[in-house]
Amino acid sequence: MDFDFTEDQQSLRDAVRRWVDKGYGFERRRGIVNSGGFSADAWRELGELGLLGLALPEANGGMGFGAVEAMVVMEELGRGIVLEPFAAVALVTAPILVASRAPSAALRLQGVADGSSLIVLAHQERKARYRLSHVETVASRDSSGNWLISGAKSIVPAGEHAGAYIVPARVSGAVDDPAGIALFLVSRANGVQTRAYPTQDGACAAEVTFDRATGIELLPAGEAFAALEAAIDRGIAAVAAEAVGVMDKLVDLTLDYMNTRKQFGVAIGTFQALRHRVADVKMQLELARSMSYFASLKLGEAPARRRRSLSQAKVQLGQAMRFVGQQCIQMHGGIGVTDEYIGSHYFKRLTVIELTFGDTMHHLGEVSAAMQDTAGVFV
Amino acid sequence: MDLNFTPDELAFRAEIRAWVAENLPKDISRKVHNALRLTKDDLQTWARILGKKGWHGFAWPKHFGGPGWNSTQRHLFEEECALAGAPRIVPFGPVMVAPVIMAFGSPEQQQRFLPGIRSGEVWWSQGYSEPGSGSDLASLKTRAVREGNKYIVNGQKAWTTLGQHGDWIFCLVRTSTEGKPQTGISFLLIDMKSPGVTVRPVRLLDGEPEVNEVFFDDVAVPAENLVGEENKGWTYAKYLLAHERTGIADVNRSKRELERLKRIAKAEGVYEDPRFRDEIARLEVDVVALEMMVLRVISAEKSGKQPLDIAGLLKIRGSEIQQRYSELMMLAAGPYSVPFIYEAMEAGWQGDYVGAAHCAPLAANYFNARKTTIYGGSNEVQRGIIAQSLLGV
Repeated sequence: MDFDFTEDQQSLRDAVRRWVDKGYGFERRRGIVNSGGFSADAWRELGELGLLGLALPEANGGMGFGAVEAMVVMEELGRGIVLEPFAAVALVTAPILVASRAPSAALRLQGVADGSSLIVLAHQERKARYRLSHVETVASRDSSGNWLISGAKSIVPAGEHAGAYIVPARVSGAVDDPAGIALFLVSRANGVQTRAYPTQDGACAAEVTFDRATGIELLPAGEAFAALEAAIDRGIAAVAAEAVGVMDKLVDLTLDYMNTRKQFGVAIGTFQALRHRVADVKMQLELARSMSYFASLKLGEAPARRRRSLSQAKVQLGQAMRFVGQQCIQMHGGIGVTDEYIGSHYFKRLTVIELTFGDTMHHLGEVSAAMQDTAGVFV
Repeated sequence: MDLNFTPDELAFRAEIRAWVAENLPKDISRKVHNALRLTKDDLQTWARILGKKGWHGFAWPKHFGGPGWNSTQRHLFEEECALAGAPRIVPFGPVMVAPVIMAFGSPEQQQRFLPGIRSGEVWWSQGYSEPGSGSDLASLKTRAVREGNKYIVNGQKAWTTLGQHGDWIFCLVRTSTEGKPQTGISFLLIDMKSPGVTVRPVRLLDGEPEVNEVFFDDVAVPAENLVGEENKGWTYAKYLLAHERTGIADVNRSKRELERLKRIAKAEGVYEDPRFRDEIARLEVDVVALEMMVLRVISAEKSGKQPLDIAGLLKIRGSEIQQRYSELMMLAAGPYSVPFIYEAMEAGWQGDYVGAAHCAPLAANYFNARKTTIYGGSNEVQRGIIAQSLLGV
């Protein structure tokens, strides 16, 4: 049991932090937001840093790193509220391609690792909320045995910039039957339409509709749903770590502000009401950091335990993000609610993270349903 | 970074578990698991059993007769004891005064006082707070005036937990009124059987005589009972506070009590009520998060790297959780928490329980738990300290 980072992990952190500090400043970020919320240049730079292949095997041009390295990278990207869909591609989606036995999946990995191929998971459906098993999109074979996908997916991260999607689609069963879901790779080609829009955090997403679009089966029904759940859990761990980075930076900004802003002739950081609030903020931040570690370190557990652990983490993160976000804005006063001030952008990212991969109430329900007689880190 | 214990640590845990299962008296663990009243005899029986094994001072280094465990081993020991239903080790001797005697006491003091603490024979009390000095502890007024080879002590200590059982008391006393209040305080060890010491138990809101007022009326204390140097007592007291890091979070007990909460909720038919169940689920997340935070502190201690600045958070969070589970237990029993039958908290009581036996202590537990956010430096004081370290002013 230890929570120290290795020297290699520390170097990785330093490298990402350098890029964020020097290469992804607030002005560049604002420019990216204004031009649609995605920068192909920034994406290429992430590829050049080797980060896009972080979780891929070295044989596929990746770095072969694990969950702790992913966590380290996400914390640093969070500090810079980086808009590009790094987690969605490199941590959530790429391992599905690795797990697939389809020959074309392996061929795509090199492109994912070097940034030339942007593939994202397109799983959200209008009526599903956070239920992964609710899939109305259907897959059927044509006369020559090819899979054709039809349906609509929502809020697909950087959907307009993706070259292909991984799509959960139903091959059998009722609308919420997990056993009838398979995962398909669908290239953006005939039968795929996108409608792009910005998201509240300055990034972008798209509605993607599939009308008899050609799909390659990555994982068949029976295997696919477990892989989908695992992918979402990797996503939870990733955004948990990102949220820790976002909050770290937002708390730093707030502490600076409290020491410089003067009212009634003194720094506002001298007022006890605010001092106690900032202690509460620190509490939530450290509880969140603890549960972000927990999330990443539990990714390798057997599915039932893993899912319960990740839901526990998302509950803690959700509470922390809302409290830290809201209170840091409050302690800034008027400047906190302007677009001009950097802090409000951190708050908006925290808000979007809560709504991603299941919100606090959803995961509390999951924890509640999975409760055992005993509880604790090792149960 | 690794969440798993090493094979050695797991073997250590198994050894502790087996020993506790063998040596913890069943009548005592039954009381603990059911929150029934513990007597002085219960507490001292367990202390002596631990003492005989050399584990009463479980955090002590080897050369003072302790087991010399590292922070992980200490945590595992505390966890196994708590989950098995062992009473909390009364901390004043082995956890609080002993480290101060080890660090600042003379060799004679170490030889004289440590063996009795180690064996669990001698009961120590803490004499810090006073009626006028709570959060502002440095304003304390109990005077110790040097006369030849002794100090004459006059004054009053307050909130002395279980002081009615005490053989000895370690006190912060004022030896100087010069300069800042902190610089005139000394650390004195006082035999509670000395003439002029009067102990008056104070009942808490749950009806239990848990704390005491301790009066000193011209009490003569040999000068050799001064720890370290005169007027340096505040430094030693702060050392003591810094020494008590993860224990105060008491997360292991919270894990045990969460199990009890679930048992009570099931028995009372609210475990399947989604509104109630979600509150338990929320608390479960809180407990896991606290345990992770405790483990982070332990890991940082063990690797000797930069100590984390989060130890102060542990007291706040741990106490909030203790209050929350006691509150939920009381709410689980609902109206059956209302009857106050003092004898029903006694093990083996043969009377008629109202509702069920498990209902009897719930309101009292809830009332009692209000102390946790007040003692050991109130949570508001803790927040002030955290803010100071964050803001630098």
